[in-house]
Amino acid sequence: MLQLDRVMLNYGSFRALDGISLNVRDGELVVMLGANGAGKSSMFLAISGLRKLSGGSIKLAGGEITGASPATIVSRGLVHCPEGRKLFAHMSVAKNLMLGGYVHRGDKAGLKERLEQIYDMFPILREKRDNNAGSLSGGQQQMVAIGRALMGRPKLLLLDEPSLGLAPLVVRQVLDTIKAINASGTTVLLAEQNAYAALQIADRGYVIESGRVVLEGSRQELLNNDTVRRAYIGG
Amino acid sequence: MNIFFQQVLNGLTLGSVYSLVALGLTLVYGILHIPNFAHGAFFMVGAYISFYVAGDLGANFWVAMIVSAAAVAVMAMISERLIFHPLRNSPALHDMIAAIGLLLFLEAVVQAIWGADFHRLPAPYTTILRFADLTAPAQRVLIIGAAIVLMIGLQIFLRRTTTGSTIVATAQNREGAALVGISPLKVSLLTFAISGALAAVAATLFAPINLIYPAMGHLVILKAFVIIILGGMGSIPGAIVGGMVIGFAESFGAFYISNNYKDIIAFVLLVFILSLRPQGLFPSEVR
Ligand SMILES: Nc1ncnc2c1ncn2[C@@H]1O[C@H](COP(=O)(O)OP(=O)(O)OP(=O)(O)O)[C@@H](O)[C@H]1O
Ligand SMILES: [Mg+2]
Repeated sequence: MLQLDRVMLNYGSFRALDGISLNVRDGELVVMLGANGAGKSSMFLAISGLRKLSGGSIKLAGGEITGASPATIVSRGLVHCPEGRKLFAHMSVAKNLMLGGYVHRGDKAGLKERLEQIYDMFPILREKRDNNAGSLSGGQQQMVAIGRALMGRPKLLLLDEPSLGLAPLVVRQVLDTIKAINASGTTVLLAEQNAYAALQIADRGYVIESGRVVLEGSRQELLNNDTVRRAYIGG
Repeated sequence: MNIFFQQVLNGLTLGSVYSLVALGLTLVYGILHIPNFAHGAFFMVGAYISFYVAGDLGANFWVAMIVSAAAVAVMAMISERLIFHPLRNSPALHDMIAAIGLLLFLEAVVQAIWGADFHRLPAPYTTILRFADLTAPAQRVLIIGAAIVLMIGLQIFLRRTTTGSTIVATAQNREGAALVGISPLKVSLLTFAISGALAAVAATLFAPINLIYPAMGHLVILKAFVIIILGGMGSIPGAIVGGMVIGFAESFGAFYISNNYKDIIAFVLLVFILSLRPQGLFPSEVR
């Protein structure tokens, strides 16, 4: 589904991604682990076309997307739900969701139907659809962000720290939702600091440090790995 | 009674023109964070194009307005593409300098074509309307009516259409908008086009009761900046309310204080209001 080949990304003279290679297969839920500043968000921004690569290449479903515009990438079925949510805070929940389907704007009936599915998945959003997104609680805003991404009908969904700043109970709900989205056929690439919880729902994972992949393995391998236990799980 | 009504009418007329100019300025600021000093030159060029189309070509006033709006919209898009877009990642000061450069360039071009003399655009409607003992020149009523129609139209466009929503979305969260597939370049071109068209329409409406000359945009743009600072940089309701506040303050100030001081009133009001509410009258986001 997604292949990164020696991807490089510089911010001025600082190298945030230093030759990242990885792949995500159809239907998988893959988790990216890494400390603050490891380069997870930079990698996601590079994949979704918001940052220009300094080297390497990215393929989506076999086709080259290196250097493509975010709009092109979204319409090819790769949707990025960003760190910090990046909602339209002074627009209603319903409008945020509808704009998530912007690349499918020609298909009004399809969008309406999809919107209903999102409301079924997050009933609280149906209730709050006329409220401004910025007025919702953190957990609800995260649902809007995920819902907005799903409106883009992703084949591959990138989720950057969806549990950031949420209460533990809400984190559980969000991760369960992500598992359900994956189970219904959407491939997911998930960045999380909350390593233990994320590995519970993942098939495989990668660990990155200073812009490099330092470890990869299945859920079990990573859960049993000493380095992972010490650095990300604590114990 | 009629004298008081005349001041209200004056205030509404000035306020309408100022609001239209300030709307374009605030849209560009809210979305691109460019303080577009050249906006006053868009206004001035708009007046000259209408003057040319209605005067030299002898076209109808409304045709002149549409041609002028279209021409200035295109000119604004070209300036975005050729001047502001390449500066997107440079410090804010560069945008400002570029805008001032564009302003000087446009004034020089206009002066080369039409000279530095004053011109006048004949008023399309010269009748005086009467309601009971109140009188109102048709041109003023026209300005107010057209401004209201445009403002409502702009609101509907921004709130109710998908294309309009892309502008508001980009103003509220640039990265969020890019992530759903909205092209930032298309949005900025569209924003500049709307901004230019509004300036041209405002200039065309205002020209019959004013003079046309190369520096005619200076005072208007300064006041428009006062308005958007008062109203909150980037706020649409702020631009409309701020425009009306300044329009009324000028009209009543000119009458009850002194006509000589009317252009200072806007700036005095700015200092006064900002000392009470440093954040402006409205929070600063396109909403
Ligand atoms: N726009 C930028 N300009 C310069 N440096 C940046 C920029 N964005 C990120 N960085 C740096 O790049 C490195 C990687 O940042 P990134 O946000 O990708 O990490 P992360 O793994 O997502 O961290 P976190 O867990 O805190 O979200 C960090 O050292 C960060 O300071
Ligand atoms: Mg991050």
